[in-house]
Formats: sequence, structure tokens, C-alpha cells
Amino acid sequence: MKQRFDNQRAYLLHTYPYSETSLIADVFSREHGRIPMLAKGARRPRSALRGVLIGFQPLELGWFGGGDVKTLAKAEWVGGVPLLRGRCLLLGYYLNELLIRLLPREDAHAILFDAYEEALATLAAGTADAPELRRFEKALLREIGYGLTLDKDVRGQAIRPEAHYLFYPERGPIEATADESAPTLAGKTLLDLAADDYRDPRTLAESKGLMRQLMAHHLNGQTLQSRRVFIELQEF
Amino acid sequence: MALPGSLDALIEALRCLPGVGPKSAQRMAYHLLQHDPRGAERLSAALSTALDRLCHCSRCNNFAESEVCERCASPKRDAALLCVVEMPADLNIMEQTHAYNGLYYVLMGRLSPLDGIGPRELAFDRLLARAGDGVVREVILATNFTNEGEATAHYLSEMLHARGIKVSRIARGVPVGGELEYVDAATVAQALIERRDYS
Ligand SMILES: [Zn+2]
Repeated sequence: MKQRFDNQRAYLLHTYPYSETSLIADVFSREHGRIPMLAKGARRPRSALRGVLIGFQPLELGWFGGGDVKTLAKAEWVGGVPLLRGRCLLLGYYLNELLIRLLPREDAHAILFDAYEEALATLAAGTADAPELRRFEKALLREIGYGLTLDKDVRGQAIRPEAHYLFYPERGPIEATADESAPTLAGKTLLDLAADDYRDPRTLAESKGLMRQLMAHHLNGQTLQSRRVFIELQEF
Repeated sequence: MALPGSLDALIEALRCLPGVGPKSAQRMAYHLLQHDPRGAERLSAALSTALDRLCHCSRCNNFAESEVCERCASPKRDAALLCVVEMPADLNIMEQTHAYNGLYYVLMGRLSPLDGIGPRELAFDRLLARAGDGVVREVILATNFTNEGEATAHYLSEMLHARGIKVSRIARGVPVGGELEYVDAATVAQALIERRDYS
């Protein structure tokens, strides 16, 4: 089936060189999800695509083709979002790597696309980023079929803010016994996370740890390169 | 029918060149062997000499035939200025400007978190040691204006600042002789964001 799509809102997640002059662009589009496409001649010195295929910038793309890899026909830079800088740029790579590793190809995820776009907008503004990252991670888990239950424990009991819980990936929270040696989460953290309320510093810290644990679980032990590089940069 | 082993090995070896697939590798191999055996000999000799003699200059990290390259050893260059570029080709274009008389450091890459290229892979510690030799007064960051080049410039500037070294970044904007109408929108947008006082 040879189909053509035009004027599709999309972001460039990553590029891979392909032959001397072209590249494969890993694209996240709002209506069609993650699609690899061949950008012919994009590495030529005078290619019009050079100033357009920029990561973290809203684009409008057109493509055609029936196979796994589509052919990029047209790319327009939409603009309106400043380029990411510094630490926020590294966090942007983290979002992209999560999408590349966890999102199956050609599955539309408009809600996730919107969460990604919102997260990028705050990263571009260089402001508080943790709430947007958590919201994005939650949306990603939901979209890949592992939505979080945060208001009830695995037995269906309502979460109590003052109790402490262990969180089992793919199952949910279980109330911890008083002598539990593994790190636990406050019930309030789970409820705050459910409500996207990150004003409490403990909520911020514990929800970050929980998300790291869940992402590691879904990545099956693969290391996130962007996270490794981020940590190494802090150590220099 | 299988090819003779050495021919097969040659075709396979040529495939290490960027953009060369099995078909072009085969074409190149037949061309060299059939039509240009002397060219093939020159190529083979040049390759092995280059591999034998070339190393990375201990000062600028560019390819050199001695421990310190000619440029780094030259008394005519201003050793107080150190310009950081991604690749040797970037150094070459800087030289073509005839507008710079300082020294260089070639990173041989850029930060690329999604490809697993970080500060260790790029040996940032070597650059920091080079810039901290006590003679360098200013480091000019001339990495590319891509996301990767910007990430590289950002983190290098933080690390160099922390070591008390003055840092600058080459400016970007509309090309010389460029008419706004014909410049891509992303460049004009960034030139607007980075506008400066004008008097
Ligand atoms: Zn040198």
C-alpha cells in the first residue's frame, strides 16, 4: 500500500547516516507515531533539509512509501520554540531516548505527542522541568500499556498518605511492613503523583526514584545512554 | 562460483569506506586491479605509510607526524588563544579565514548522548588539561550550531569557567552577503533571539 501524507506535525528524535549523502530520520509524528524515514541527500552540503531537520523543533513533514522505512518528501520548520540549551538539552535527549527505546513503530500516540510537546516547551523555557518530565513518563507508561495505579494498592485498598509502600512494576503498590528493609514510598507521594502535584520536595525526590525504577524495568536492563552521559558530565 | 580469497578480502575491506556497499566495493576492486594497478599500488603504499606515521598531536589532537605538530610548535602562533573545533575539516575552514592566529584543539567528535558519545569518549580531560596549561588566556568554542555542537559547547564552557579560564563562542546568524528573504527561517529566528545592541 503506497500512501502519501502531507503537513504532518512531527519531531525529529534522532538521525542515522545512510550512504554518503542521506540519512535515516527517526521521526515522532502526532497522527502516525514513530516512523523511520529516508531523507535523501540530507547530508549534501547544500541540502535544503540541513537547516530544517533539527531535533526538539516542531516540524511539518510529508512522506510516502509502503515499507517499514518511508521516504521523506517534504520538511518544513514550524518554529516558535527556542532551541534547548545546556542541561535542558540533555533532558531532551533523555525524552527522545525513552521514545526510541520504548515506543513501537507506527503506533499513533497523540496524547503522548502532546505530553512530549509540553515537556519540550518547558525545557525550552529553561524553567522547572521535573513536573513535566514526570507527566511525560506517566503518559509514556500509559501509552505503552503499563498505566500506573497510584490511588489503590494491589488489593484494591485506598492509598493512605501516611502509610509506606513498595511499588511492584506491572502490579502496583503494596503496603510495606514496619521492618521493610527495601526503600519505600510514602502514600502521599503516590497520591501527589496521581494528581501531578510536585510541590512537596519528598514527592519530587521519591517520584523521580520510582520513575527511574519503572523505566529500568521496561528497558529490560538496557542502559540509557543519555542518562549515562548526563551523569558523566556532572562528574567532570 | 566463489571469488578467489584475496579478491573477496579486498572487496570486503573496501566496504569500510563510508557510503560504499557491496556493489560499489566490487566495482572499485575490479577497477583498481584491471585498469589501474599502479594507482592501486600507490593507494596501498599511502595507506600503510599514513597508518604507520600518523598519530594525534599531543597539543591539538589533530593528525600529525610528530608528537607536536608544526602548527602547535610554531612561534608565530598566539598560544594564548585556543580554538576548539569538532573535526579537522573545521580547523581547515578556520585557517582559510586568515582571521585567526591562535592555536586549536580538535575534539574528533561532539557530545552525542543518543549515540553514547560522552565526555569520556571525547577525552574532555585532555582538553581541560591542555586549556589549563597556564598560557591559554581564552578558549574559543567553535563547535557546530547543531544540538550536539551546542551541548558540547555548553558543557565545555561550564568546565572551563569552573577552572577560571575565559570562554567565548563564535557568533551565529545570517551569512555574510545573505539576504533575509533567502535565509532559512530557523537561522533568522535564532539571529533574532541572539540580536545585540547596535550603535
Ligand atoms: Zn598540534
